[in-house]
Amino acid sequence: MTQGGISYFGIRHHGPGSAASLVEALQELRPAAVLIEGPVDASPLLPLLASPDMKPPVALLCYPEDDPAATRFWPFAEFSPEYQAALWAVANKAALRFIDLPSAARLADQGPEGSTDADADEPEATEEQGEVSSRILDPIGTLARAAGYEDGESWWSDIIEQNPAPGPIFAAIADAMTTLRDGETAIGKFEAMREAHMRLEIAAARKEIYGPLAVVCGAWHVPALQAAHTQKSDQALLKGIGRRKTTMTFAPWTGPRLALGYGYGAGVVAPGWCKHLWQTRGQDDASVLWLARIASVLRAKGHMISTASLIEAERLARALAALRERPKPGFEELREASIAALFNGEALLWKMVEAELLLGADVGEIPADTPLAPLIDDLQRNQKAARLKPEALERELSLDLRSESGLFRSTLLHRLNVLGVNWGRLTDVGRSRGTFRERWMLAWQPEYAVRLVENLIYGPTIEKAANGRLVQMIGAASTLDALATLVQSAITAALSEASAAGLAALEEKAAHSSECQELLASVPPLADIIRYGEARTTETQRLAGLLERLVIEGAIALPYAARDLDAQAAAALMAALRKADEAIKLVEPDEHVLDAWRNGLAAVLDSSRSTALVAGCAAHLLYEAGHLSAEATADLLAKRLSPGTPVIDAAAFFEGFFSGAGQRLIYDEGLRGAVDAWLASLDEEAFVAHLPLLRRVFSNLDSMERRRLIEAVLGRRASLPAGLTPAPDGGEAWRRHFGLLGKLLTGEPSHG
Amino acid sequence: MNAAIRLPAEQVYASELQALARDDDRQKPAGWSLSPKAVLTYLMGGKASDGTLITPKYVGRRQLMETAVATLATDRALLLLGVPGTAKSWVSEHLAGAIMGNSTLIVQCTAGTDENQIRYGWNYAQLLAKGPSQEALVPTPLYRAMQEGKLCRLEELTRMGSDVQDTLITVLSEKMMPVPELNTSIYAQRGFNIIATANNRDKGVNELSSALKRRFNVVVLPLPGDMAEEVSIVSRRVGEMAGGLDLPVPKNVGEEIARVLTIFRELRSGATADGKVTLKTPSGSLSTAEAIATMISGLSQAAWFDGGKLHAEGLAPSLVGAIVKDPVQDKVVLEEYLETVLKKRPDYAGYYAALNAAI
Repeated sequence: MTQGGISYFGIRHHGPGSAASLVEALQELRPAAVLIEGPVDASPLLPLLASPDMKPPVALLCYPEDDPAATRFWPFAEFSPEYQAALWAVANKAALRFIDLPSAARLADQGPEGSTDADADEPEATEEQGEVSSRILDPIGTLARAAGYEDGESWWSDIIEQNPAPGPIFAAIADAMTTLRDGETAIGKFEAMREAHMRLEIAAARKEIYGPLAVVCGAWHVPALQAAHTQKSDQALLKGIGRRKTTMTFAPWTGPRLALGYGYGAGVVAPGWCKHLWQTRGQDDASVLWLARIASVLRAKGHMISTASLIEAERLARALAALRERPKPGFEELREASIAALFNGEALLWKMVEAELLLGADVGEIPADTPLAPLIDDLQRNQKAARLKPEALERELSLDLRSESGLFRSTLLHRLNVLGVNWGRLTDVGRSRGTFRERWMLAWQPEYAVRLVENLIYGPTIEKAANGRLVQMIGAASTLDALATLVQSAITAALSEASAAGLAALEEKAAHSSECQELLASVPPLADIIRYGEARTTETQRLAGLLERLVIEGAIALPYAARDLDAQAAAALMAALRKADEAIKLVEPDEHVLDAWRNGLAAVLDSSRSTALVAGCAAHLLYEAGHLSAEATADLLAKRLSPGTPVIDAAAFFEGFFSGAGQRLIYDEGLRGAVDAWLASLDEEAFVAHLPLLRRVFSNLDSMERRRLIEAVLGRRASLPAGLTPAPDGGEAWRRHFGLLGKLLTGEPSHG
Repeated sequence: MNAAIRLPAEQVYASELQALARDDDRQKPAGWSLSPKAVLTYLMGGKASDGTLITPKYVGRRQLMETAVATLATDRALLLLGVPGTAKSWVSEHLAGAIMGNSTLIVQCTAGTDENQIRYGWNYAQLLAKGPSQEALVPTPLYRAMQEGKLCRLEELTRMGSDVQDTLITVLSEKMMPVPELNTSIYAQRGFNIIATANNRDKGVNELSSALKRRFNVVVLPLPGDMAEEVSIVSRRVGEMAGGLDLPVPKNVGEEIARVLTIFRELRSGATADGKVTLKTPSGSLSTAEAIATMISGLSQAAWFDGGKLHAEGLAPSLVGAIVKDPVQDKVVLEEYLETVLKKRPDYAGYYAALNAAI
């Protein structure tokens, strides 16, 4: 693998095993220069990697000056061989260079709409070459899978590191790759160009630098870099590569984004596992430490895991490795052993801790003197487009959402708010939704720039970062109404990814929640979104479906929820019921949804176990919806208020029916007639017994309303019963009583 | 000629076991008649070295069987957990048959099982005549397995009382059983181990104490992962059972099995088959075995009362019975499923109406 003083180290991207071997090999070789597969124009930034303030995971990112959305990333983790090679070179004062095509070529190749953080190292990942691309991307993983390993790192340690000397490891890898590539048809043009470029750079370095050279590149490329090609043919290949002005910098990265699942093609399945392997390299007890980590995560979640179980898990892992004829337990053996011995066989429990264990929650840090971040760039561009200048002094801004520029500005401000950059503040917070006007108060604070940069871990542009941040918040939200609020802000800020994620989370939560109160409480905000959504161009169909479902679920849960409640719970349920009903009426859902809702209400009314207050409220809502005729209502009231019913229940029913709806009696002749008829039918004793109840309902009316009610009741009669005059204020009798009361209170003797 | 209805696994598959043993030169744990690798081949199917075809005994994930075999190889006890009808006892029998050549040391645990049936009993005539003595002691399968270094099978471990379950703790951790009446103990010989099976989602079971659970490695056997597999299992069993009960099988039984299983699987997994709608899951296990029972009762209803026609009305009562185990909670789950899912499927209209009527 050494040719003319050049040593080629074929590594596995983000493979802790190859990182460890690489460091040993470099230590032995002591090269004068380290050449790494990476964009050549980023070479000046490379030494920054070794800065003490640089804490991986970090990513090198390149973006065209005019389009940060097309940013491409080259992530580095602590266990990335490239990162370790750079550290070694800086510490040992060796020259350090990137040798791959300049970033501009890759950007031009992808075009502005290319997938941004799909993959940095190998563009093939995004093209439809499935099998072939995975071989190029991770040839070692391919070999491992062929040998029946799920985890390439276990294969690396079992097969390759059994070899005691570090040098021959890379020779063996180069051999394997030569064989693997022999069976391959011609590689893609882009790959050929990359390899040609690397060859030319290596040759140039050879001319410039005296002493051994170390080339660190993906294992797949080693045979091609070693092969003899004339410089002329290589240069011919490179003719006409794309040129686009790019900006480069480092950004903090996160453990989860290193993972394959997050769309980073040359990523690793389990960054947490790789980090563990790196940190325990050379130790015999790595597998025990991993089990201990699993146990500590489980314990943190409240499961009881004894040390004895850990011992058993370790024994089982060894037995499994023996059964599979592997030299020592790897990732899969440890996983299966812990499921059987620590998790009581519940694979589900493993799924619970999997993300935490495998993805890790690491967030990288970058030194303060790192060049400008793309988010600030993006903000400046957006500010220009929106014609808004950051000013420290407060300024009011009124936006018309019907105009394109108004909508654009509003969206920008909403997105910045999501990112914690409260440049604009909505002044009419309690505004009625569905309007097309927003009033903002603008004021720029210098710390906003810092806050913006902190959001870089969520994405390179304001839109992407806002999306990413909301998605994370949605993942953490635990109640339906909190989720509904988050979805609302996602839709207001026109963040499609976050709203989709939020809706999915809402759907999931809605399915599992059977808490009627919570279901009902989530209806009004969603209804708001639907109505508000019409002022903006967002898709509301899915939301409407979700709302339908929530309403139906709420309606089904309602009769059960209304049973046997105490006064406080009943009042809370009634309030939620009224609000939800109002929202449902405003949204005007399909007839079958309304039917389900009314059936729910009717079931509450019919069940003898329903709490009277809620039943009264349900009766009123049904009456309002026209599902109970005036006569039926009169009968119902009479029945519910009849002497057989305990007074407390009757009072509650009456209150539920009329709470906040006492005015109905003024305008609604039919209802008034019903109540009137019921009252008139009472004999004197019963009437007196019900007086406190009536008083409670009418106490909600102000004196004007009370007067109108009396006029409405009595106005229809030709004459009043003899000797009675309507006295809404109590008349003379009250003044007399008041006088007497005053005397009593002041202690004056009233009767001589 | 043997007239037994069913023979133990090691006799039925004797030729396969012999073929596997013939060239098995890998290391064997003490007392094993096959190496762990060969046991695995016996369970999962494959070829013996002389070309004899080994039929698969377990259809499912290989890793589960690997864990089971590796567990027994570490002299740690194995607990097979799962809802009814997931082949727990079947696996346990074949494991014992392949490892020891004997799957008949078996204790059927029930609510009535007491310590005498787990540890040892007494021959009372002897006991009265001679007092406590070795001759008066009646060994149990567990006792014999310890003495002879064999595998003992405990079926439905969780069905026996918790106090009786806990007699196993000493046996499992110290591999010995004290006999205080004779002032002695018996020590398990190499090769001794326990395979227990238990229901993890059933009514009327006694949770294992954590002290006991900790002494087992647990393998959970899952329900069939894929619809087609489950449909074929149900169709086959329904056909067999209907034959046994002399019930005629109408033509549309295949379609109805598919519909009933769709309902079962959707409720069991908490999501519709297309994965678009998440659902609440009822408290019952909705196992394959229950789906079979539902179909059989539907067939019986059809044969005796509905003139041989199998339809939703006949199936609905037993469907409701299988789904609604908790009269309040499960009813809400089913109502919600009916309103949000089945109502919108035209080909389930019959089920929607019949289930609504049956609730």
